Amino acid sequence: MACVAVPVFPGTNSEDETVRALQAAGLDAESVHWSRGGDALGAFDAFVLPGGFAYEDRVRAGAVAAHDELTDAIVAAAQAGKFVLGICNGAQILLETGLVPGTGPIRRPTAAFTPNRDGGRYLCRHVHVRLAVAPERVPALAGLAPGAVIPAWASHGDGRLAAAPEELARLHCDGHIAFVYCDAGGRPVPAPQGSALDCAALTNAAGTVVAIMPHPERDAWTFMHRDGAARLAARGDSAAMLGPSGGSAFFAAFARALGAGPAAPAR
Amino acid sequence: MNKTFAVALTIPDNEAFTALAALRRLGLPLGGVRRADIWSFEVDAAEAAGLPQTLATVETVFNPNKHELTERAGAHPLAGEVWIVPQDEGGAVRVGGRALAGVREVRRAVAWQLFEVSGALATPELLDRAIETFLCNPAFQKAITIRKVPR
Repeated sequence: MACVAVPVFPGTNSEDETVRALQAAGLDAESVHWSRGGDALGAFDAFVLPGGFAYEDRVRAGAVAAHDELTDAIVAAAQAGKFVLGICNGAQILLETGLVPGTGPIRRPTAAFTPNRDGGRYLCRHVHVRLAVAPERVPALAGLAPGAVIPAWASHGDGRLAAAPEELARLHCDGHIAFVYCDAGGRPVPAPQGSALDCAALTNAAGTVVAIMPHPERDAWTFMHRDGAARLAARGDSAAMLGPSGGSAFFAAFARALGAGPAAPAR
Repeated sequence: MNKTFAVALTIPDNEAFTALAALRRLGLPLGGVRRADIWSFEVDAAEAAGLPQTLATVETVFNPNKHELTERAGAHPLAGEVWIVPQDEGGAVRVGGRALAGVREVRRAVAWQLFEVSGALATPELLDRAIETFLCNPAFQKAITIRKVPR
């Protein structure tokens, strides 16, 4: 079974649900604290950087964690072709490392998830995101259907993609925009925080590293799902409430990419 | 007229300490880092004299129990210091949600002043390394030093 590390920095706060979402998808996942150092990551097949506020977002979101010893090991693994996902603060860290979009040297970021429009006001909203490239473009999420729609929770103050105009054009043309914001039916909607290109997630040239801002792990079980008949129908039925929700598809795709069989998410 | 102020912590600044640790880890031979919030105002001359006292009443900007408010000689960094500002920053007219008398525009920056191990101000070369490797993300920020004061 593929073994996935979920790195934890001081201030990370979403490692638990991320580990459980990965385990529900059939992966062997565990959180790894920064204090264990980079050597602790050698045995893992893949990495998922979870959400939170690593190092309290000091200096800027993701900046300090991007230079942590633990991250050095993740950068090396990514450069060797291992799959890496980053969710929310994990996505911000990946952009600070330069692994995504990967159009410049390592640790010379060419894009960033920056403070939301309206002065960086914190956004907490249920959203949907749509796979904006062909599934083959993103091997790390192999098995997602073309145009797959994933429900998730946007929960961030710094989720607005920004880059130089020529860099944004390159990201668009070269298929780096992995997910865009949409409605439940997959129709485009403006990014709620003003993200350029309505981008919700970026990937690198090889599609092996994905940085997504909204949290699919926070909509992986029915009790977490904001809308829909499924949650209403599950009221009073704990087994149904603990049934899989749409965000689990994100982790199931990651598990398939790692050669693990899809499993029905369960708590 | 322009009035520029720095608001810095008088208690230990954990963010500055974290920045120092990160910069040292990147191999920069530094002995200290000072951080301050910069508030630069275009203000009517008649209201300029009272601006420090007014600013000191904005609780989200200044807490007398842990901050010091210092007026700067001009709207530019000190030696060994860089100001980090968003590239798309537009001037605001309110501070902490309040309109201040006579203020026509407010601009903000975060100031980082670096010191060598000897205690001397960081050289321009050392400051540039810190900016390039850590303090500034050029995808959305710009760094202003005394060699690059905007006109």
